[in-house]
Amino acid sequence: MTGRGDVWVKHDSDQERVVQPRPYWNRKRVTTLIWFVALAILTAIVIYPLIWLLFATFKPSSEFGQNQGLIPDQPTIDNYIKVMDGIAGVPMWRFFANSAIIAIAATVGTVLSSAMAAYAFARIRFKGVGIFFTAMIGTLLLPFHVVIIPQYIMFNKLDMIDTYWPLLLPKFLATEAFFVFLMVQFMRGIPREMDEAARVDGAGHVRTFGSIMLPLIQPALVTSAIFSFIWTWNDFLAPLMYITSPEKYPLPIALRLYNDQTSTSDYGATVAASFLALVPILLFFLVFQRFLVAGVATQGLKG
Amino acid sequence: MVNVHKRRRFMAVVALTAASGIALSACSSGSDADPSASGSSGGGEAASGEDVTLDFAFWGNDVRADMYTQSIDLFMEEYPNITVNSTFLDYPAFWEKRQTEAAGGGLPDVMQFDYSYLRQYSENGLLLDLAPYLGNEIATDGLSEQILGIGVVGDQTTGIATSTNAWGMYTNPQLLESAGVEEFGGGSWDDYKSWVAEVTEASGGEVFGGTDYTGRIQNFEVQLRAEGKNLFNEDGTPGFDEARLAEFWESGADMRGEDGSGISQQKLEEIYPVSGFGSALTASELTWDNFGAGYLGELGESYTELGLVAPPVTVEGAKDLYLKPSMLHSVSASTEHPAEAAMLVDFLVNSPEVGAIFGTNRGLPASTTMQEGMTFEGLDAQIRDYEESVADRLGDAPPVPLVGYGTLEEKFRVLGTELGFGTVTVEDAVSQFFSEMDVVLNS
Amino acid sequence: MVTSTAHRVDEDTRQKAPAPHHAEVAVSQKQRHWRESLAGYGFLAPWLVGFFGLTLGPMLYSLYLSFTRYNLFQPPQWIGFDNYIRLFTDDPNFTQSVKITLIYVLVGTPIKLAAALGVAMLLNYRDRGAGFFRSSFYAPSLIGASVSVAIVWRAMFSADGPVDNTLSIFGITIGGWVGNVALVVPMMILLAVWQFGAPMVIFLAGLKQVPRELYEAADMDGAGPVKKFRSITLPMLSSVVFFNLLLELIGAFQVFSSAYIISNGTGGPAGMTNFYTLYLYKRAFSDGQMGYASAMAWVLLIVVAIIAFVLFRTSKSWVHYQGENR
Repeated sequence: MTGRGDVWVKHDSDQERVVQPRPYWNRKRVTTLIWFVALAILTAIVIYPLIWLLFATFKPSSEFGQNQGLIPDQPTIDNYIKVMDGIAGVPMWRFFANSAIIAIAATVGTVLSSAMAAYAFARIRFKGVGIFFTAMIGTLLLPFHVVIIPQYIMFNKLDMIDTYWPLLLPKFLATEAFFVFLMVQFMRGIPREMDEAARVDGAGHVRTFGSIMLPLIQPALVTSAIFSFIWTWNDFLAPLMYITSPEKYPLPIALRLYNDQTSTSDYGATVAASFLALVPILLFFLVFQRFLVAGVATQGLKG
Repeated sequence: MVNVHKRRRFMAVVALTAASGIALSACSSGSDADPSASGSSGGGEAASGEDVTLDFAFWGNDVRADMYTQSIDLFMEEYPNITVNSTFLDYPAFWEKRQTEAAGGGLPDVMQFDYSYLRQYSENGLLLDLAPYLGNEIATDGLSEQILGIGVVGDQTTGIATSTNAWGMYTNPQLLESAGVEEFGGGSWDDYKSWVAEVTEASGGEVFGGTDYTGRIQNFEVQLRAEGKNLFNEDGTPGFDEARLAEFWESGADMRGEDGSGISQQKLEEIYPVSGFGSALTASELTWDNFGAGYLGELGESYTELGLVAPPVTVEGAKDLYLKPSMLHSVSASTEHPAEAAMLVDFLVNSPEVGAIFGTNRGLPASTTMQEGMTFEGLDAQIRDYEESVADRLGDAPPVPLVGYGTLEEKFRVLGTELGFGTVTVEDAVSQFFSEMDVVLNS
Repeated sequence: MVTSTAHRVDEDTRQKAPAPHHAEVAVSQKQRHWRESLAGYGFLAPWLVGFFGLTLGPMLYSLYLSFTRYNLFQPPQWIGFDNYIRLFTDDPNFTQSVKITLIYVLVGTPIKLAAALGVAMLLNYRDRGAGFFRSSFYAPSLIGASVSVAIVWRAMFSADGPVDNTLSIFGITIGGWVGNVALVVPMMILLAVWQFGAPMVIFLAGLKQVPRELYEAADMDGAGPVKKFRSITLPMLSSVVFFNLLLELIGAFQVFSSAYIISNGTGGPAGMTNFYTLYLYKRAFSDGQMGYASAMAWVLLIVVAIIAFVLFRTSKSWVHYQGENR
């Protein structure tokens, strides 16, 4: 928490530099240095387990349980070779492609439908909105395991088993209250003058939503998109329930197929595959995290 | 069959229109639990020769999946009109998915099955009685009466054992050699405990002689069988009382804890998901004899062989061991193609070519026809020889495990680890196990 | 419960309703009302279909099941309140599971949120290398629920593992956390804190919305960092803090994946990872006691609903929405 104090020093130092350049220049450098070192140490701590995981992908399977250290005793790339071979005739890229298809579609659906619902909750006044809001929060509270079976029965009746519909349909219907609520909170943070001005100029809700609200809550949209993508990418339970053909499996199911407590487990391949599964979402995050910063449009407008 | 399906579809419509889920359940269980659904097909329908698609589900890892893919390809070559879609998952996920399908309607036509779930699915009418197909679609010349008897629940044959295994004790000769201790030469449970302590001491605490065996319900079962009792009787009542269970758990006391002669629970937790034996930290492990390949895989290239000896003796001359199906094949009661499904079961259980592909991956093949296709070497031969060597200790199999056996087995294991940690006393553990048993047996 | 907030939304909208304007004078009040409703239901349509089509039915069904004995195979049997009675009077596992879940929630959530806010503010301070740092801090949250997490985490906390070795520099010897029953819950909390990426990103997004001019104005007034944090950052961030607090609490009560993976679904060692939802799950799927599991689910729902209600209520006094706070 050292940073908390430092955070706010930046602005005055800039201003006062003109008056007394030297000492303040030093002070700024010192703060930046402290800031940088603090972050670097924290990063190292947080990232170390992942580094360990990376090194572990070069351990032969038998070293798991026998060598808990970072460095493999007998480094090997066999794990990667095995992972590249795919599973039971299904090539590895197929699992990646399946995961990507599901995650992209789910993200589009979630962001669109949640933003619409959030706009209704946050900005439109109509009968029933209160009850619906309560109900929306209520859906967050029930552990989802007890609704698995009735939902399965429904999708089974709809003949959607072994398709991606049961995974995607709920996303396009804003069933993940987390995202709706997240966007509601952000919309409430937007000064009302902004959309009121538009409304007064004769814009309807559709235009206000599309050209005023969406650009303003861009950080929330990007945040939701990132979360939705990552969570869908890592989701295990829904595909387990609804997908039966191995060639349609997404990665989280495929990752488990190297382990069988009833016969043999290949931990080396598991770890290597988990690491590979991490790469696309890490890249995804790297690309999209920059848009988290871009959402500063409101600043200039706030008066 | 037609009627059943019509009815189910009708119920489906009812269920969908009714907003409340109550109708849903009436539907799912109403049609699936109807035992007449399978009975109505009478003597078993003959294969039509028409084009048919079967769904087949199994659990296992990528290695087993490759084996099944090859086997299924052979099957489809032999029966060009039958297409088999297979699906596979790891063991816990496999059962979670089956539970959901059982509740929601729609089990796969053919399933690899586990003994501990057989009664539950059979008694609820979810599995097809294969008796009419025995000797027809399913050849029985390679399957002994004893083997066929394993898959009988009530008066229906709902599973065909693919393979069997027996309780045994794996040892690690390399660890024993470096500790300078001889292989366990048989004897009582007390002899085993002293042997374990000897190994632990000889290795200076680097390697342990074994694990506290009272954590495994199978060891308890072996002792009870030696005394002429079952772990659980056909009617689901236990074959032991509080005092007997307490005595059993007490007997492991000197193997537990930091200063125990066995490996500590703490150490086992650290190396999970690898086992103590698989990490070369223990020199012996009482377990099913088909676990050898898994141990060799975990131990890695520096360990090339294992010892496999008989478990300690409770009562001289008793038939305390038995052959357990390591897995079975079953057919869903709601399959539309029972004859073709039975043909697939036959192929997977009897075919010598399939035997050649699998080796002992699924356990020692139950069918002698299948065994003809195999060459036994290394560990496979060792397991076969082991089962022959304990032949006079092998008795009749106990009743098919009661519904909820899996829960109790797990509870037993968990209480075993808690005893290992010292977070529960034997007395409390016994009372917890009995209250869990109450719940399971009464639900 | 949450209606209070929703009411406020209503009031809020009413107060802030645009002043009559030349374009709207022609439109009668009633017509406008009707148009608002149409727009409201239009925007809410996907959610409404999802709620009534996919969510509500299964939820009510689980409520019904909580009063039954249901093993997934036979039709549910009505048994009244038996499941609830058994929960509160005759289930030591339930008591244990409630205990560790409460510790996990009450200790873990504040630490995780503090870490997330602290790091978010650090990250917000300078833009240099921010992308790299942001991604690094988020990286642990990217890793999926696979057995790899269990392998890594056990290695970190084993005897001679990096955590133990680091602590031993400060003269603290633990000798392995994983096998120490008392340290399993703290270890699970640290695992949750490690994956603080989601609230951190949300805090960051919120911080980006705080106008810099406010701080500049405060600087002119000579306000110190603590004062600025308390009088600018926290109030401006309050809607996001509220969101994170509520959602992290709910998420912590429902912790499942990490416990499932670390314990291979058993809730061990010695029941110390048998968190509420994991126990519920085992009852439902391993033990075939779906009725009992449903009762557990509804007990949790009610408890969390009460907490959410209290939070929503108190939020009136500490959460400031710009929309109403002009």
